[in-house]
Amino acid sequence: MARAVTTNRKVVSTVFGWAIAILIFFPILWTILTSFKTEAEAIASPPSFLVFDWTLENYSTVQERSDYFLHFMNSVILSLGSTVLGLLIAIPAAWSMAFVPAKRTKDVLMWMLSTKMLPPVGVLVPIYLIFRDIGLLDTRLGLVIVLTLINLPIIIWMLFTYFREIPGDILEAARMDGASLRDEIIHVLTPMAVPGIASTLLLNVILAWNEAFWTLNLTAANAAPLTAFIASYSSPEGLFYAKLSAASTMAIAPILILGWFSQKQLVRGLTFGAVK
Amino acid sequence: MFDWLERQAPKLVLAPSFAAMLLFVYGFIGWTAWVSLTKSRLLPKYEIDGFGQYERLFNAPRWDVAIENLAIFGILFIGVSMALGLLLAILLDQRIRAEGALRTIYLYPMALSMIVTGTAWKWILNPGLGIEAMVKGWGFDTFTFGWLVDPDMAIYTVVIAGVWQASGFVMALFLAGLRSVDSEIIKAAQVDGIPTTRIYTAIIIPSMAPIFLSAFIVLAHLAIKSFDLVIALTGGGPGYATDLPATYMYAMAFSRGDLGQAASSAMIMMMIVFAVVVPYLYSELRTRK
Repeated sequence: MARAVTTNRKVVSTVFGWAIAILIFFPILWTILTSFKTEAEAIASPPSFLVFDWTLENYSTVQERSDYFLHFMNSVILSLGSTVLGLLIAIPAAWSMAFVPAKRTKDVLMWMLSTKMLPPVGVLVPIYLIFRDIGLLDTRLGLVIVLTLINLPIIIWMLFTYFREIPGDILEAARMDGASLRDEIIHVLTPMAVPGIASTLLLNVILAWNEAFWTLNLTAANAAPLTAFIASYSSPEGLFYAKLSAASTMAIAPILILGWFSQKQLVRGLTFGAVK
Repeated sequence: MFDWLERQAPKLVLAPSFAAMLLFVYGFIGWTAWVSLTKSRLLPKYEIDGFGQYERLFNAPRWDVAIENLAIFGILFIGVSMALGLLLAILLDQRIRAEGALRTIYLYPMALSMIVTGTAWKWILNPGLGIEAMVKGWGFDTFTFGWLVDPDMAIYTVVIAGVWQASGFVMALFLAGLRSVDSEIIKAAQVDGIPTTRIYTAIIIPSMAPIFLSAFIVLAHLAIKSFDLVIALTGGGPGYATDLPATYMYAMAFSRGDLGQAASSAMIMMMIVFAVVVPYLYSELRTRK
């Protein structure tokens, strides 16, 4: 809604907007702060805000006790692996739907997207049993396959919304100049598709990085990524807020940083293309 | 041969995705539906036994709690997230400074795993730490905030964390909607001296009806699928006071060794999602043609 807003109101809105931002960011900030406290300070009452003995002890303790780095690497491998595999399957599919639409393309797309709305519990048990029988439980490979499959509809949808914005005229012009299908893909389509692919990649890395339902249910000690590790961390050892916060901080830091430097893509991705 | 390939290429490249989803969705849902009709306990059995599992499910007090919680959580989560999301969107629409940064911060909770951010929420909601300790520290000695450990109130802490996570997302959707409203109409209304609140309630918000519907659908299916939230905050407790259908199913499948109950509860959840999503998809497809 483009309209003039008086300066006074603008100041009030700005102050209000930042106050809410601080409120929303507080739990995240608190996790980060707590990760640098000792256990005693983490549960001190009243809580200390910035004045405490900053320590890195929690980070080393978590690493020593439960090989945190392994879980971090699992998260990296699972999110990158499933994203790359997903893109390999989805790029041709989205390309086909965006540039060679058939009569039912829209229906197929809506159907694909609708499958993402189904609760994953509906397919959990059979997958669990199959994985157990063929030895894929608690393996990275098994999870990469599952994460690829569950995010495939989103990947195709996102790529489709980006590909649709590529003007079809350019392809036609290339074809008129005698470009083959191969040339068309390599020299014309790819350069224009890269930004969309990159944003889809970002979104999917975030989705896979955060995935908790499948990772929690299909992994134990070996293939568990950070989410599953953190979910299980509090129960056996009681609640160690500072150590738990250290593990959590390491899990959120990559996304906070990645998100900050690609704000536009983050917003568009998280709203599934609705916000450009 | 190559010509044929080139003509069929669009369909061929679509096939793997299509097949994967077909198997993943219908194959495995079919399996779940089948098992829900058997006497499976720890191991799946495949002799059809009728609707016994569903009878047991509907008679289970724990399932009643899960469904009741879903109703409470669903209504409050959707209602409050939409209301707050709309207010935040209107706020950000006032052309304030550093809007991009604010929008990103508002969206951060959605970009992070609830399992991870739950760490802070457990602290905030912990009676004796977090909010309670803070307010007591200000001198209000009688203040208590023990919802997290109160079986009657614990589900509302799940609502609070859920709203925190989703409001920014709803805001982003609504902000895009506000920006797409024809500014000429608004200018004309302002020239006519119509007050701002009236412009919002009578012109802007009604024209955003499709966005309200999309936001509703997304939130509704998130509510039905909710799993992380409960696991992160309460683990379903105290007792099973904060069970939702997804955590009920999880408990049956993995800690109770009751596959039949797990499968039948999964089928009911699926039906609830269908009841919400199918009419929406139907209307979407009809309006596009």
